[in-house]
Amino acid sequence: MRDIPGTVSCIDGNTFIVSDPSGDVDAAPATPVGLFTADTRYLSRWVLTINGERMTALSVDDSQYYEVAFFLVPGGQVDYVEADVSAIRRRRIGPELSESLTVFNYGVRDADLDVRLEVAADFADIFDIKFDIREKAGSHYTQIEANELTLGYRRGTFQREVSVTASEPATVDPHGMRFQLRLPPGQHWSTQLRATMRAPRPDGRDWRDAVRKLRPDESTLPDTVRAWIAADPQLDTDNTALQQVYHRSLVDLAALRFAPLSLGGATVPAAGLPWFMTLFGRDSLLTCLQTLHVTPSLTPPTLRILGALQGVRRDDILDADPGRILHELRYGESAAFEEQPHSPYYGTVDASPLFVVLLDEYERWTGDAALVRELEQEARAALDWIDQHADLTSTGYVWYERRNQATGLENQCWKDSWDSISYSDGRLPGFPRATCEVQGYAYDAKTRGARLARTFWDDPACADRLEQEAAALKDRFNRDFWLDERGYYALALDHDGTPVDALSSNIGHLLWSGIVPPDRAPRVVEHLMSPALFSGWGVRTLAEGQSRYNPLGYHNGTVWPFDNSFIAWGLRRYGFATEAGRIAKGIIDAATYFHGRLPEAFGGFDRQTTRYPVRYPTAGSPQAWSSGASLLLIRTMLGMDPHEGHLAVSPALPPGFGRIALLDIPGRWGKVDAFARHRPVRPPTDGTDSFPSPSLE
Amino acid sequence: MPVTDAFFEQLADVGHDPRLCKVHGSVRFDIRDGDRLRQWLLSIDHGQLRVTPGDGPAQAVLKLSTEVAEAMVRGELNGLSAMLRGEILVDGDLALALRMGRLFPSPAAAREVGHPWARR
Repeated sequence: MRDIPGTVSCIDGNTFIVSDPSGDVDAAPATPVGLFTADTRYLSRWVLTINGERMTALSVDDSQYYEVAFFLVPGGQVDYVEADVSAIRRRRIGPELSESLTVFNYGVRDADLDVRLEVAADFADIFDIKFDIREKAGSHYTQIEANELTLGYRRGTFQREVSVTASEPATVDPHGMRFQLRLPPGQHWSTQLRATMRAPRPDGRDWRDAVRKLRPDESTLPDTVRAWIAADPQLDTDNTALQQVYHRSLVDLAALRFAPLSLGGATVPAAGLPWFMTLFGRDSLLTCLQTLHVTPSLTPPTLRILGALQGVRRDDILDADPGRILHELRYGESAAFEEQPHSPYYGTVDASPLFVVLLDEYERWTGDAALVRELEQEARAALDWIDQHADLTSTGYVWYERRNQATGLENQCWKDSWDSISYSDGRLPGFPRATCEVQGYAYDAKTRGARLARTFWDDPACADRLEQEAAALKDRFNRDFWLDERGYYALALDHDGTPVDALSSNIGHLLWSGIVPPDRAPRVVEHLMSPALFSGWGVRTLAEGQSRYNPLGYHNGTVWPFDNSFIAWGLRRYGFATEAGRIAKGIIDAATYFHGRLPEAFGGFDRQTTRYPVRYPTAGSPQAWSSGASLLLIRTMLGMDPHEGHLAVSPALPPGFGRIALLDIPGRWGKVDAFARHRPVRPPTDGTDSFPSPSLE
Repeated sequence: MPVTDAFFEQLADVGHDPRLCKVHGSVRFDIRDGDRLRQWLLSIDHGQLRVTPGDGPAQAVLKLSTEVAEAMVRGELNGLSAMLRGEILVDGDLALALRMGRLFPSPAAAREVGHPWARR
């Protein structure tokens, strides 16, 4: 797979189009550009020419996520364009793609114009693109009618189809449509183009009809976006970078909302463009955790759908167990024919504990006890999964080893690429593996589960048991994972219990979960902020000096904004406000180089050397938990935490942030404001900078 | 279709199914065998299950062939995948229909791991 710099995207949930800056789509098989819905590429070619020439963009307006306007002139990239003829392509995405094309003649004589739109549809599954699979098992077909070109793909009873129509008379051929026109001086010509995507069943009806009927009318999109932004807290700050990233994050979170089939119309965050435009357990749970103080409405549907799709039985293809929360749900051809196990796939070990963590944190913010009671059974099943199905070696840890050896995931933690878990010398451990941060999540889940059991489920015995288990896990973990001579926690345990000794960002999550004894925290923090891990922008996934370190290694050296936001949260929890502030400042600074839209990851190069954050080649953008990262960093700078029914605020602003005010923060208190002014941060000596947290002893 | 009938008759005997304790609604299976149509109506009230053969209004209707139905009750079929393929047609409440997958045996229990991915 590869991606193209300078793409322009237009998004509506899991329907999206990614094009070049002129609005054209000219997709190579392994390039994630084109028009997509339900994990399928419906347009792989969508190229505009005038008199045989491709167009060049003079400017692009993509300030709204669901529409883009391209201002174009014919011809290639040149220093100076003498443009008599120009065009505006105004694109909008909803259930279908609509594009209004207007051509202007500002010359002094008539212009004879041959306007052509080239169209092709390869119906590639997103995994065909990812793995560069070019042969399709089914067959393509083409139908031509007046002003309408239909391209389709059929494999048995599986059918996907796109129809392109034009409002003006066109000559249609199998590869596109053509408009011949004579345009007098000062005149313009327009046509409305429409690409309608269908997934017909054998009886001709679209299987998505029932779900689509539940979505609001396309024309109300601007209103719903305005309402979404208006309902969120207002940010008032003198830091323009923070203002920009906050606004962009809210818009992108709105863009990524989509309605899965199983949820009766409610929307949850899709994970990210272009590879992850669907429901992911881990991504959606962590995104909700990051955004509770701003957009708590994302959380109930997320918990409900993950609960509804919770595993109920063992399945060795889907890597499912009773109580396990899903990893990934797909709707494309590879899921339909079970060439990929995504219907749905359960190969993650952190989503189950994080389900309980989110349920508890959500209640702490909102006071919504009804949801805690509604999801009692699911939360208990997720907690039971930790002990009954994840402890593969009976040693009291959460382990993973895929049972689906053909297409399951080798690494089932957030760093889920094949080489992400290694020893310091580069060796890869055997299976099963137990990564450190997941033990922290399990500890946190048990601790929080105990509160839920005692307060809402009327089950003090269960609460006592969970608390004892959490305490025992903490002791065990600090015995088996701690590398005393190095002063940090092992990245993982190998199958035989040997600590996998690489220095990684994972240790930062342990602070967030509270499994680190306070006397060990300073040594962990020293490593996190050391030049080996901290690049100047953020904490690298893997420390410089580790054998597999590569500043452009997906999980082996890049900086992930989401990862850093949880590390910053952990640092505040343990009283390291200055260090949390350095991370917040570094990540917000980096965002300005991405126009306020933090990508999935960026290069781990030293900030002093490159002076700008280096783009990671295939990074997703927008990415839900990267958008969420800026919101969580605001929470950590303000030191906000629910405390006995009110919102506690303990601000610690890093240099460069003179003032931050977050207004109308929703919660069990109604709406309140949080204010912060910059003052020098005290050194973390007495722990008074930590904000109250119910589960930290 | 004795296998399928036996499956639904057995469901009727169960009466309560904890796997459906969050489910409330009615679901009909329309199973076509050539010209013959066999229908089963499930009324679910938070896990309380009433199964009757025959027609009747339902919030979700699943239309499938007898081959697909038999594969499902033998645990050889992932219901969501079959729906995406166009082998199970759902009318009405899709979310409710998808909950029914829990009633059928696990596909992976019935087949060898790795087998269905010959293409990759």
